[in-house]
Amino acid sequence: MSDGRAGSQPCFARPTPVFARVHFREVSAMIYDLELYKIGKVYDNGTPAVIDFNLSVNKGEFIAFLGPSGCGKTTTLRMIAGFESISSGNMMVKGVRINDMRPADRPTSMIFQNYALFPHMTVRRNVGYGLEVKGMAKVERDAKVDRMLSTLGLDDIAEKKTDRLSGGQRQRIALARGLVVEPDILLLDEPLGALDANLRKAIQNELKLLQRTLGITFVFVTHAQSEALALSDRIVVMNQGRVEQISPPHQLYTRPNTPFVARFIGRNTIFQGAVRGVEDGRIIVDTPFGTLAGGANGDMSLGAAVNVVIPAEAMEVHTLNRTMRDTISRQSGGNVIDAKVNRFDVVGHISHLSVELPDGRAIALEAHIDKYPPGVFPAGSDVLLAWQPGQATVIPAT
Amino acid sequence: MQASGTKLALGIYTTLFLVFLYGPMVVLAILSFQTGPEGGPQFPIIEWSTYWYKHLFGLTPPTRIAPLPIEEALVRSLLLAVMTMIVSTVLGVTSAQAFRKKFTGSGFAFYLIVLGMMVPGVLVGLGMALVANALGVDRHWWGTTFVLHVVYTYPFAFLVMLAILNRFDQNVEEASWSLGVSPVKTFRKVTFPLIFPGVLSAMLFAFTLSYDEFSRTLFASGRDLTLPLAIYGTFSVEVHPNVFAFGVLTTLFSFALLGTYAALMMLSIRRARRVAIQEEA
Repeated sequence: MSDGRAGSQPCFARPTPVFARVHFREVSAMIYDLELYKIGKVYDNGTPAVIDFNLSVNKGEFIAFLGPSGCGKTTTLRMIAGFESISSGNMMVKGVRINDMRPADRPTSMIFQNYALFPHMTVRRNVGYGLEVKGMAKVERDAKVDRMLSTLGLDDIAEKKTDRLSGGQRQRIALARGLVVEPDILLLDEPLGALDANLRKAIQNELKLLQRTLGITFVFVTHAQSEALALSDRIVVMNQGRVEQISPPHQLYTRPNTPFVARFIGRNTIFQGAVRGVEDGRIIVDTPFGTLAGGANGDMSLGAAVNVVIPAEAMEVHTLNRTMRDTISRQSGGNVIDAKVNRFDVVGHISHLSVELPDGRAIALEAHIDKYPPGVFPAGSDVLLAWQPGQATVIPAT
Repeated sequence: MQASGTKLALGIYTTLFLVFLYGPMVVLAILSFQTGPEGGPQFPIIEWSTYWYKHLFGLTPPTRIAPLPIEEALVRSLLLAVMTMIVSTVLGVTSAQAFRKKFTGSGFAFYLIVLGMMVPGVLVGLGMALVANALGVDRHWWGTTFVLHVVYTYPFAFLVMLAILNRFDQNVEEASWSLGVSPVKTFRKVTFPLIFPGVLSAMLFAFTLSYDEFSRTLFASGRDLTLPLAIYGTFSVEVHPNVFAFGVLTTLFSFALLGTYAALMMLSIRRARRVAIQEEA
């Protein structure tokens, strides 16, 4: 588990106590938009929902909380919004502690999966609601609302009631309503979850564009990997109340920190083994499939139980050939494994391949037909899987 | 074959249901058009007339049959019903709102409230009379009776509001809070308009239950009678069709009340739209 921008930090960059940071900031004028320091949530019945959540978010960053249901991501978001009390830790927005602030006093706005529009108001009144209650003059308010309505393409339906509108329109209204009050941070709780697949893609793009244009910090909760990967600058992967990894999307793929992340993100194959040594900056691991090598992620001592993680994209399939075996093995730093072809189908221009490992595990691979032409790997044939050591990651097994 | 059998059984059931529901009312309505003053409250109809309606309003020449002594009782009952309606609805809405969150003793408090509609009315009425006597408090329709009516109708208003708030989407309130609107203002601007149809139902319940409450009122009211007591009082002497005529009129009044309720519902739905249009202009 690491704080901030994964892996790249040296080990002395431990989370500094909050009071020390506040002091530090006075000197450097470095202020995060949102800071979570050791945030914890324990329900009344004693069940911990969130444990030691640390996160610092820069202004204008797009953060996604990703994890299976019940992992604590929504609870954390609701703690930021003020809908749930915080059991321990500190939470700050622009350097101001917000732990005990009422939701109404926090500089945050929340977007809900079910839109939560006010059904007794028109679209325009929905959007203008926050400003109206604050007592903003009608002329000024109307100008702001009009601008926001046109930003989100809602001009045509401004006078309509919300109940007959489509899901996409409703979520745009909710976005307009949340953004028009100019929050420091927009919180989004699975905002695309109730939309159908095509619409989801479209709104996803709009959302990203909107966030870039407005430069507002977004914190986005989702259980859909593709959404998190497509939208966010950094992803917080959560599992059972704990933060597993905080990384930019591509690093979650290439350098998972924990076995959970390796299994949860992308399509990785994991081999269990024990550390034998270090060679050319790579960790050498003894596994039941032979000796494998990979880049280290985390501290590991000699003989420690580790996982070797290989992304499906890194695996090359070769026809098994006695004379070539040594060459392939040498070229891929010894990272070769025997396998048997289960299935080989071509769909359009993509070849889909299912191979079986000696331990019975099946791996699904795919590539362009130029790489694996039709008929090249007949079902039942023996093949060799190979990958470059740089593309494999070795992580502690626990 | 079986389907038509079921159909027949259901048809008979529905017919019986309607007969039992409306039968007494229809008989009452027919007999109210009996001729007077010599015609009695029984079949056959000697001659159709509106004599007893006129009698009710003192428009007939005086006879040995006294006009129904209900004028003041009617006003009293209406006032009492309105008072009860207001207090019970306010209590019902606020306490149901409180019950949205679990609090210590919420289960106990729930049964305590609901007890008010469970306990036998005659006993509570008698109990109230005894307590009033013991404390030396005079019994009045606006005092002891009013308290009992609230105790009785408040659980109904409370349960109606509980059901309404149970279906209420909490996210809508949270959205309002997160837009910087305080909980109090959120209740006024968002929650209340959305639960208003439920509030109307609670009001209707409280009003009608109080308006024809008998058993609690019997012991708890003092000298001044409410409408149900006054009507019952006339039975003890001799029943004339003027009571039926009055029954028909009160039923019509109830329908008028229901009509008002429906109209208010429609209005509350349309109001938001109209406000928006006005704002545009």
